[in-house]
Amino acid sequence: MKNKQLSAIVVGAGAGGGVMAKELAQSGIRVTLFERGDWPSYDKHINDELISQRVQELGSAFGPDWEKNPRVVRHDDGSEQLVTAQSYAYNHVAACVGSGTVSYGAMAWRFMPEDFKMKSVYGAVPGSTLADWPISYEDLAPYYDKAEQEIGVSGDMSQNPFAPNQHQSYPMPAFEYNRDGAFLDGVCREMGLHPFSIPMLRNSVPYNGRAGCIRNRTCCGFACPIDAKNGTHNTVIPTALATGNCELKTNSFVYHIETDGRRATAVSYFDADKKSHRLEADIIVVSASASETARLLLNSASSHFPKGIGNRNDWVGRNLQGHAYTGASGLFDFDLLDLSGPGACVAIMDYNHHNEGIIGGGVLCNEFYQLPYAFSQHRPPGAPRWGKAHKQYQRENYHRLGRMIGPIQEIPNFDSRVMVSDRVRDYWGVPVVVNTGSRHPIDEKHCNFLASKAEAILKKAGAYQTWQHGGGGGMTGGQHQAGTCRMGDDPATSVTDRFGRVHDLDNLYIADGSLMVTNGGFNPVLTILALAYRTGEHIVNQWSV
Amino acid sequence: MKSNRRQFIKQCMLLYGSVLFLPSCRPSAAPVWYSGFTAQEASAIDAICEQLIPADDYPGAREAGVIHYIDKLLYQRFPQHKQTYRQGLAGVEACSQALYGNSFAELTGAQQIAMLELMERGELPARYWPQTTQKAFFELILAHTMQGFYGSPRHGGNKDYVSYRMMKLDYPLLIGQNRYEK
Ligand SMILES: Cc1cc2nc3c(=O)[nH]c(=O)nc-3n(C[C@H](O)[C@H](O)[C@H](O)COP(=O)(O)OP(=O)(O)OC[C@H]3O[C@@H](n4cnc5c(N)ncnc54)[C@H](O)[C@@H]3O)c2cc1C
Repeated sequence: MKNKQLSAIVVGAGAGGGVMAKELAQSGIRVTLFERGDWPSYDKHINDELISQRVQELGSAFGPDWEKNPRVVRHDDGSEQLVTAQSYAYNHVAACVGSGTVSYGAMAWRFMPEDFKMKSVYGAVPGSTLADWPISYEDLAPYYDKAEQEIGVSGDMSQNPFAPNQHQSYPMPAFEYNRDGAFLDGVCREMGLHPFSIPMLRNSVPYNGRAGCIRNRTCCGFACPIDAKNGTHNTVIPTALATGNCELKTNSFVYHIETDGRRATAVSYFDADKKSHRLEADIIVVSASASETARLLLNSASSHFPKGIGNRNDWVGRNLQGHAYTGASGLFDFDLLDLSGPGACVAIMDYNHHNEGIIGGGVLCNEFYQLPYAFSQHRPPGAPRWGKAHKQYQRENYHRLGRMIGPIQEIPNFDSRVMVSDRVRDYWGVPVVVNTGSRHPIDEKHCNFLASKAEAILKKAGAYQTWQHGGGGGMTGGQHQAGTCRMGDDPATSVTDRFGRVHDLDNLYIADGSLMVTNGGFNPVLTILALAYRTGEHIVNQWSV
Repeated sequence: MKSNRRQFIKQCMLLYGSVLFLPSCRPSAAPVWYSGFTAQEASAIDAICEQLIPADDYPGAREAGVIHYIDKLLYQRFPQHKQTYRQGLAGVEACSQALYGNSFAELTGAQQIAMLELMERGELPARYWPQTTQKAFFELILAHTMQGFYGSPRHGGNKDYVSYRMMKLDYPLLIGQNRYEK
C-alpha cells in the first residue's frame, strides 16, 4: 500500500489497458480505467450471421457504434471517403470492456526471436522503416509467461521445433483437433512439416474459476456463451476491480490529454450523457489501440506540442501495420467440416523465417469458420457468384472445403499511417481517424510465397481444385493493427522509449499494439499483453519510492 | 400470366406487410407495404433477387423473403442505400423498356439473366445510370440478396431457415442465438 497516494489513468480497457490497470492497481496505485464502450453482456448484445466482430454487415456486435464513429480513408490521389465499419478500411478492433479479447479467435502466439530483430536478420529494405525492436525475445519472455498464466493459455509446443517455448508447458493442455485439423495435420506430417495444436487463450479444461470450452464453432467474432474464452474482461480487469484500487468508467470517451510540457497532467472525457469532465492523475497510460492511441495523441496538440503529443519528429501514427491474410482453399470430394469449434486448431511455423528470398513469412493455420453468408462471398476465381450455379456451389461445397491461411509479416513503411481529419468530426465533435497509405510493395511477393505453400498442402491433401487468395497491396491496419507509436532507443525515429514511455514526457506511457516496431507473422495479442505486463512492472518500479 | 404474377406479388405484399409491421411498430391504418420503395420498385427488386438466388429443388430468394430484408435494411439501418436503389432501379427499368419494351419484372427469365450478366460486367449502356453505376447497384443488391438469404430470419429474410436447410445445417448454429426466438 506504499503507493496509495499515486493515481493513474488508463485510457482504453482492451488487451493492453486491461493488463495495465491490474498491474498498477495491485501495486496500490489508484487507477481510473476509461472505456468508450460498455461491458459486453452476453444477454444484451446481439450477434448472428450478419452482426459479429468478424462479419459486420449490419453492425459490430462489440462496437463501435458506426453511426457515432465515422472515419475517413484518404486515397493515393488525395480524395477522401467517409467510411464505417460496414465499408472499406475502417480499421477497428472493437469498443467494449475487453475490446478484441472478448470476441477474438484467441490464438496465443509468442513472436519468435527473429521477429524482434528483423533488420539485423534480413538487412534494410528500400522504402521501408524496417527496424529492430529495442528489446529482444528474451526481454519479453518472462512477460509472455505471465500472460499465459494469468489470462490462461491451452497448448503444447513440444512437437514444434520452431517455437521459442518448445520445452516449456502451458497452464492448460492443448486442444484436440477437429476433423479438418486432424486431416491436415496428417498431410503436413507426410510433407515433412511440423504441425501442432494452436495455443489458445481459451480453457481446454476448467481454469481460473471458469468452465472448459464446449467447442462452439461460432467462436471467433463472437463472445463465449459459457465464458470459457479468456480476455481481459474476465481475468485481469475483474482482478483490478477487486483490489478496490481501480474504478472503471464505461461509456466514457477520453478526447484530450493535457500536459505542462514535461508531464501529462489530466485528461478530458465525455461521459455517457455527452457531458465533458476533467480528471488529473500522476501517471497516464494510453491503451486505446493503434488507431485511437495515435488519434488521441494527435488531437492533444497544445502550445507545448503543436503537432501533437510525442509527435515532435512526426512519427505518431506512422508505420501502421496489420496483416494481409493469405493462403489457399481447396475443394474435396469428401466431407471435411464438422461443427466442433472453434475451427482453427492446427498450424505450422515452418514458413515464419529463413525462407529463400523472403523477409519473414507467416504462420499457416486451418480456418476458423464461415457461416453460410460469409461462405457465399468466397469463390474460386471465375466461379459464378449468383444464379443456380451459386446455390449449387453453396450446398455441394460447404462441407467440403479445406483452407490454410495465415498472417504475413508486413514490412513497415512510413506512409502507411493514421492521421486526424481537419474536416470530419465524430458525434462528440472530435476530429476522426484518417487512414491512408498502403502496404509496402514487397508484401505482395511474401503473400504469394505463403499462399503457394498453403496451396501445396491442399494439393497434397488431394483437393481436386485449389486456388490462392489474399495478396498484399492496399491499405493495412484492421483487427491486427499495430506500430503507430513505435518504441525505440532513438527519440528521432520512435515515439516511446523501450518501456513505452513517450519520449517527451516523464509520466505518459503507451501500452497497446501501437508500440510494436514490427508485427510478426502471427496474430499479435499475446505480444501486446506481454508488453503491457512489462511496462506495468516498469511503471510500478519507477514510481514507487 | 402477367397479371397473375402481379396479383401474386400484391398478395405477398399484403401477407408480408402484416408480418413485417407489427402493430406496435406502426399505426395499422395506412396500407404501406414496403417502407423503402414503391410497389413497382418492389416488383423489380423481387425479380432481380429471384434471379440472383433462384428457386430450384430448394426455395429461392422470393420464398425466403429477401425483399423484406432489403426493405428493413433501407428503412431502418442504412437509409443511405435508398438513393442507390432508387437510381439503380430506375436505370434497370428504363434499360429494360428500351431493350425489350417491357418492365424488368415482366421479362422472361432468360432476358432477365442476360440483363443481369451485362450489368455485372458493366456492359449495359451507361446512360441509364447517370447518378450511380450499373455495377455499383448490381454489387449492392447482390450483397444484400446474399445477406437476406443466408442471414438470420430475424432480419426479414431466410424465412423458415430455408438456406440453412439447403446447406444441411441445424439451426441455430450459434449457441445462444435461439434467445431471439419467441
Ligand atoms: C474477431 C477478432 C479476432 C481476433 N483474433 C485474434 C487472435 O486469434 N489472436 C490474436 O492474437 N489477436 C486476435 N485479434 C486481435 C486482438 O484482439 C487485438 O490485437 C488486441 O485486442 C489489440 O489490443 P490493444 O490493446 O492494442 O487494443 P484494444 O484491445 O482494441 O483496446 C483498445 C480499447 O480502448 C478503447 N478506446 C479507444 N479509444 C478510447 C478513448 N478515446 N477513450 C476511452 N476508450 C477508448 C476501445 O474501445 C478498446 O476497448 C482478434 C480481433 C478480433 C476483433
